[in-house]
Amino acid sequence: MAKPVMKKKKRVSKKSKLSWRKHVNINDVEEFLEDQRLEERLGPPLETLTDDQLFKVDVEPSKQTVSSKERKRKRFLEPPRCFAVLQPHTKVPDPIRKRNRVRTKEERKNDLIKKKEAENRAKGIWKHRELQAIRDQKVNEERKQNDPKRGEFVQNIWDADDQLTENNGWFSKNTVKHNLAGTGKIRKTVKDLKKIKSSVLPTIEMPHPGMSYNPSYDDHQDLLKTVAEKEMKIIKEEEHLNRVTRDMFSKVTAKKRDSMWLQEMSQGLQSASTNDNDNESDSEYKALNPPTKNKKKTLQQRRKQQEQMQLELLKRAAKLSKKKISDIHQLKTLNKQIDKTESKAKILRERRLKNLLLKKKEPKRLSAIKFEETELDFNMGPDITGNLRSLKKEGNLLTERFKSLQKRNVIEPSVRRRRKKSKVKVYTKPGHKEDWITTVAR
Amino acid sequence: MVAKRKKKYASGEGAHFMTRKAALKKLQLSLNDFRRLCILKGIYPREPRNRKRAQKGQAGIKTLYHVKDIQFLMHEPIIWRLRDYKIFNKKVGRARAVKDFESLKKYLNNHPTLKLDHIVKERYPTFLDALRDLDDCLTLCFLFSTFPSIAHVPRDQSALCRRLTIEFLHAVIEAKALRKVFVSIKGYYYQAEIKGETITWIVPHHFSFEPQSRAEVDFKLMSTFVEFYTVMLGFINFRLYHSLNLFYPPKFSVVSQNDDEKSIVDEEVFVSERVAALNFPVSKTSSGEEEEEVEIDTFSTEDTPEKIEEAKIEAEKIKNLKGLFKGLKFFINREVPREPLVFIIRCFGGEVSWDKLLFVGASFDENDESVTHQIADRPSMDKQFISRYYIQPQWVFDSVNARQLLPVNKYFMGEVLPPHLSPFIDKSRDQQYIPPEEKALYDPEALEELHKKQETDDESEEEEQEDEKLEAEDSEKVDEDEEDTEDEEEEEEGESTKKKKLKVTPGEVYKEVPWEKSKQERQEYKLREKLVKNKHRKLYKSMMAGRQQRAKEIWLLRKKRRLHEEKQKEERKKKKKVEKQTT
Repeated sequence: MAKPVMKKKKRVSKKSKLSWRKHVNINDVEEFLEDQRLEERLGPPLETLTDDQLFKVDVEPSKQTVSSKERKRKRFLEPPRCFAVLQPHTKVPDPIRKRNRVRTKEERKNDLIKKKEAENRAKGIWKHRELQAIRDQKVNEERKQNDPKRGEFVQNIWDADDQLTENNGWFSKNTVKHNLAGTGKIRKTVKDLKKIKSSVLPTIEMPHPGMSYNPSYDDHQDLLKTVAEKEMKIIKEEEHLNRVTRDMFSKVTAKKRDSMWLQEMSQGLQSASTNDNDNESDSEYKALNPPTKNKKKTLQQRRKQQEQMQLELLKRAAKLSKKKISDIHQLKTLNKQIDKTESKAKILRERRLKNLLLKKKEPKRLSAIKFEETELDFNMGPDITGNLRSLKKEGNLLTERFKSLQKRNVIEPSVRRRRKKSKVKVYTKPGHKEDWITTVAR
Repeated sequence: MVAKRKKKYASGEGAHFMTRKAALKKLQLSLNDFRRLCILKGIYPREPRNRKRAQKGQAGIKTLYHVKDIQFLMHEPIIWRLRDYKIFNKKVGRARAVKDFESLKKYLNNHPTLKLDHIVKERYPTFLDALRDLDDCLTLCFLFSTFPSIAHVPRDQSALCRRLTIEFLHAVIEAKALRKVFVSIKGYYYQAEIKGETITWIVPHHFSFEPQSRAEVDFKLMSTFVEFYTVMLGFINFRLYHSLNLFYPPKFSVVSQNDDEKSIVDEEVFVSERVAALNFPVSKTSSGEEEEEVEIDTFSTEDTPEKIEEAKIEAEKIKNLKGLFKGLKFFINREVPREPLVFIIRCFGGEVSWDKLLFVGASFDENDESVTHQIADRPSMDKQFISRYYIQPQWVFDSVNARQLLPVNKYFMGEVLPPHLSPFIDKSRDQQYIPPEEKALYDPEALEELHKKQETDDESEEEEQEDEKLEAEDSEKVDEDEEDTEDEEEEEEGESTKKKKLKVTPGEVYKEVPWEKSKQERQEYKLREKLVKNKHRKLYKSMMAGRQQRAKEIWLLRKKRRLHEEKQKEERKKKKKVEKQTT
């Protein structure tokens, strides 16, 4: 058996870049180049340098300690650290010897023009643009000074002379219009906002006397009673809702529920046993709706029908005339009936009016969310200490004000909307994928 | 040609209302800007009569506005400023994002500002209109003045509120306009009368700031209200100060100029400075007398003489109230909340001071002999002066509400205080039950009666106790004594009646039956009742029935009270008995 022996190939194909890389050893060349580059970057190796180049004789005396102020000043004179980036960080010379640079506007100017401008400025002659800039600055500063500042009140806005033009009963509309024609004062017609009050409720509701920090017994009891009544109402409502919803359904076990579900869902499906029976009995096709038959009435039948109808009409007319005669005798009862309905309507009208007045005190429906009143603030009996020092504060004034505004229909009741956080799909851009090593540069 | 078909909702209720969304579109504003504009201009959402038609057939409940209201808003120049804000925010945001700090600084220095003066003028054409709507403004400003800087509230807002409220309090002090005070568990209720308008406001108790959940209250919204109200209050202050011959803005020597820094450093220092500011009179522009007291005309076309008389009495009372604490010197102990007390006492002409070492602004020392009242809220004190009363703070509040200096004995240090009653209850409620304590508040006679009653109660209790002591010795004798006293009383009564009879008999010309007059009156009354028009008969009947019912209620409550008191008395007795037995 001839053992396959791996022979070293004498010649290899160097057709492609890949095969070149594989079979040609260029390490020595690369090392040399690397050394050279390093030398360029850092300067020549230390062995090649002379002593003079390496060392320096310290002639100056060692510096005394500098104060922090001086240090700061010195640091201030140094170029800012941000410019360090602009300095070259290698010793490699710029490959382009004559690099172009755009000169600044000032550098580009002709010397003659520069000289002329300097002369003009010394004389006090300014360019139009510069003058404009100065003027603008002044105007801007003035405007800024005249701008309203928060919390500065320097005038009486309800001035007397203003009343001459507006809301003055002494002048007719036309007089004012005529006399103010040239003044440039436009007569503004403003809606009488104060007339439209959003609610009949007072701005600040007077506190219940039981809310005093040291209430009398009766007042406190009265307050507690009202609070308790409100609470009872809520509890009752809740109980009612539970009774009407939750308690109406009987509870079943999970197993029974499943079986019930199965039973319910299989309702109407033909079971195997009934199916068989149907097949046996049904032999021929039977339509669900039998076809109609066009059965005509005879002439005699038609005549009789007509006669019956006539008779019916006559009978009805006779009955009506009879009723008319009897109604004359029944005038009294009819009158009574009318009175009754009228009185009923009156009662209803009154009730409606009353309800309307009551409704005025309730908050209007201004948005999809219903207004909810806050609970009354109260101290329980043991909390009342009777002195100012150990008083227990109750209720939040800000909430109360907010709710009061809602109650008076100034703002609509609302809930804070939470912005839904959108789902973000995270993925890496194809260019940033880590697999470039395997795909691009093998 | 057929006439053009009328479109639905082109007229009628459908054309009068606009949903909020439509309004936003029309005004080209964001929701936040729109809400702000509505609050500033005083435009409120409306409730339509027929919602379905007003919403143009859309289902659900939407916030609706009047079309006219929105058109009114459209003419408002402030809208342009709001748009400027939008642009400003965009520019600033961009500059910050690209780190263009030069332009950022430029923009921030040139920020647009809202000027609300004309809106105040427009919403309140006269000064009185503004005063009428001051309740909300004051309450919110006082509330915000207690706030630290929070998100959604401009940083300088609470400082501004503090300044304006202090200024307002000074105006009230100078005008002596305060009328009523009520200390509730929620805060202090004040009622003042300025230019004939009754203004009520609430000041929260001075405790530490309690954080608020954002779910409950929309801070941004409330701060917009405050933004408008600060401007309004500023102009009102300006006008008030000028009408009172005072310099505006007032300068307080104790308050350092930039109070922002102070409030950040130490809240306590700030509060004490604020109180100290209240203790000094503000400078006047001229020494001339203020508005003279208005005399009530004797000739009035409409009012009856009784009403005029009533008004006169009321005016006299108010005049007295204005100088209630004049000549009194109060010293406030450190445990008492100073701000309300200083304000109230200064309002009625009193002088106040406090411990010099603890807080700034004290005007005299505790050792000053001329101090008439020292307000303390502790059970006892080691060092006490004989020359002054040591009272609890409630005396001040109750005296103001009673419009006279109440007797101090019930308010001494360590006493159990009488209840603090609300002054905001209609005093003319003759058809309601009024507890005796409250009656005493308004009627000095009743107060004396109450005192007497209590004293007699105590005495009788003591007597009874003594009786019980003596009982073992000889019970019969005591009984006799009691009977004797009763007999004497009866005799006295009998004498008085006899005297009256004697007086009448000699000049008897015709015999007047005593009940005849009342009988006749009753008959006349019934006749008058018959004269009531048919139209008003039912109303009259229901009125009378109501009156009767209320009278019955009063009677019932009185009875309850009596029974309650009797029961309590018995209990007390029992307690004492038990105590005695144990000892």
